[in-house]
Amino acid sequence: MDAMPTDGPVAITWAELALASSLLLANGLVSVWLRLGLGRQLLVAGARTVLQLSLLGLVLVHVFESERLWLVLAIGLGMVVLASVEAVRRAGRSYPSVRRDAFLSLLLAAAVSLLFVTGLVLRVEPWWEPRYLIPLLGMVLGNSLTGVSLGLERCLASFEEERDAIELRLAAGAGTWEASRPTAAKALRAGLIPILNAMSVAGMVTIPGMMTGQILGGTEPGLAARYQILVMFLIAGATAAGTTGVVLFAVRARFDDQSRLLR
Amino acid sequence: MRFEATGLSKSLGGRELYRGLEIRLEPGETIAVRGASGAGKSQLLRHLARLDAPQAGQLEESGMLRLDGRDPEGWGARRWRAEVAFVPQRVPRLDGAPADLYAAIAELAVQGERAAGEDPTALVRELGLAAEDWRRAWSDLSGGEAQRALLAVVLARQPRVLLLDEPTAALDPPAARAVEGLLHERTCIWVTHSSAQAERVAGEVLWIGDGRDAD
Repeated sequence: MDAMPTDGPVAITWAELALASSLLLANGLVSVWLRLGLGRQLLVAGARTVLQLSLLGLVLVHVFESERLWLVLAIGLGMVVLASVEAVRRAGRSYPSVRRDAFLSLLLAAAVSLLFVTGLVLRVEPWWEPRYLIPLLGMVLGNSLTGVSLGLERCLASFEEERDAIELRLAAGAGTWEASRPTAAKALRAGLIPILNAMSVAGMVTIPGMMTGQILGGTEPGLAARYQILVMFLIAGATAAGTTGVVLFAVRARFDDQSRLLR
Repeated sequence: MRFEATGLSKSLGGRELYRGLEIRLEPGETIAVRGASGAGKSQLLRHLARLDAPQAGQLEESGMLRLDGRDPEGWGARRWRAEVAFVPQRVPRLDGAPADLYAAIAELAVQGERAAGEDPTALVRELGLAAEDWRRAWSDLSGGEAQRALLAVVLARQPRVLLLDEPTAALDPPAARAVEGLLHERTCIWVTHSSAQAERVAGEVLWIGDGRDAD
């Protein structure tokens, strides 16, 4: 048995990936056999994974080599746009300016937390070093978009479900914020539950994806753990900020200038 | 103080509920609002409390509102609703107890320009509730208890005009009499289905819709 090299990952060839795909294929066959109708979806999802990640690998090689600030920023901005579109789609509820509000929330949350980490904690030179910035942005967005979509969904749903209670508080002389504070608090909690859960079981039930990747990639486990802690804090901070932002935007958008709850 | 509402019109989903209504109240006067179910009585109270945002084609409201000669814009939305207080027929699902809602509102009063108002525990007794009902969860109160507890919360803040949506609908006759007694000589716009109650509490009846319903 070969010892695992500590200076780099085991190389994976396309043939080996094809072998790994048999795991997916087996599931597809079970689905056909039991007529679950999932075979096609599995096939499409598998193909998308291959295509999207290979493309990402290709693009990142060029971005890492080019070392151009504008290119890194353009890619980052594009990722935030895609994340906000996906967050609104997952929320399944909307209002006229919801796309803009989700975009601004994610942009602010990701920008502030990332700059803090690359600039002050890791002290990467330059602060926009794509090898750090882009993967971290991807992790931050992937998680905060979940928070934003859950928070948005709960907030807008509660405005419908709890309309009478909110209007009762308004009728008693509450302002829009006092009247919707219990609703906003619930929405915020809903958005933060996934990351809070992930943080409390991290390392006990699951080894987080990034740490797994780093260990497989040959990083010393202690360092991989410290990176994972950093990323958890980064993700939690950005998720909280993004969810708070989108909930505040939604509260503002659902009342008119006479503090009446819109339908 | 004089409450005036003139030229009130409202339509919902393209259906006209009322047009050109007028209400004038001096302090201590009560007007009863009557009409068939679905005629728009509750909608009128929501209109006066300024709770509905107009939506072209869906919900349209017009008319002029005045309290002490000032319109709602002059008072500001929050202050208007504190002075012209809407009490819904059913208490919505609320967290906590009546005391919590009262505390939240009293806190708002401190932030705003208004004083905190009457002692709510005295009101609770006068409405025939037990003192401990004030601290029981809303979800543990019966419909009639919750309705009276909500009335105590609102009255404690001493609004100048009360918009009451069938405030005795869930009550037995003695409890209903207690409510009527407590509201005597306050300024109310009182939705009721009972002609006897209208006669007892109001100097005037405003009908909404075409049909005058029988008791």
